[in-house]
Amino acid sequence: METHGPVSPAEAAAALAAVRRSRARVAWAGYPTWYWLATAAAWAVMPLATLLPAWLGLVSCVLVSFTLLRLVVVAGRIRGVCEGWTRGAMRSRDVAVLYGPAVVVAVAGGFTASLAWWSPVVAAVLVFALFAGTALTLSARAGRQ
Amino acid sequence: MSPSPDTEQAIEDGFDQLIHAPVRLRICAALDPVREIEFGALLDLLGISKSALSKHVSMLADAGYVEQRRAVRDTRQRVWLRLTDTGRSAYQGHIAALRRIIDGS
Repeated sequence: METHGPVSPAEAAAALAAVRRSRARVAWAGYPTWYWLATAAAWAVMPLATLLPAWLGLVSCVLVSFTLLRLVVVAGRIRGVCEGWTRGAMRSRDVAVLYGPAVVVAVAGGFTASLAWWSPVVAAVLVFALFAGTALTLSARAGRQ
Repeated sequence: MSPSPDTEQAIEDGFDQLIHAPVRLRICAALDPVREIEFGALLDLLGISKSALSKHVSMLADAGYVEQRRAVRDTRQRVWLRLTDTGRSAYQGHIAALRRIIDGS
């Protein structure tokens, strides 16, 4: 449909709403399920690293970070969307909703490791559940839009 | 609802008639936040026909707003699309103009 002439505020608002939906689909839709589960598992390893000797924990974190970067690249190729390292379709709020709770729980699990050995284990389970649950829910919702 | 004089001013300032067509606006909205998107992926994201997408991409490419890059993967040729600098600034100017229309109402 071609558009001509002056645009009313209602039409402008509808156009911006379409823009927001389009961006949300680029941010969330098309990811394979395994990507979210693998990423959740990688994040869940972080609090468990505090149970290891310092050097081994550090090496584990570096390996997990490389794994996460590799997952992003592979998922991007599968989706057919290349976001690049300086761009991203997710808004700051999306990033906060997806990563915020998982990071808070992971850090809390790490800090409380000295109080109870099982604390990082509980944190790892929670991180996995929070991250995978949020990602799969938002991804499915964007796919329906 | 008829546009106010403020709205008409906003239209002249950054409003892009080529981008404003619904499908082309959605194409630009999808391409703006990323580096590039594969043609097939954009088809899935927009949920339109291949011929319709080709037509709109050609119009954007003719205006210098979109660039196409061909690459072979798994023995299949794929077309990757990206917004050019001109296209990105035109799109962002258009979004700003739409916001001004709403603010000025």
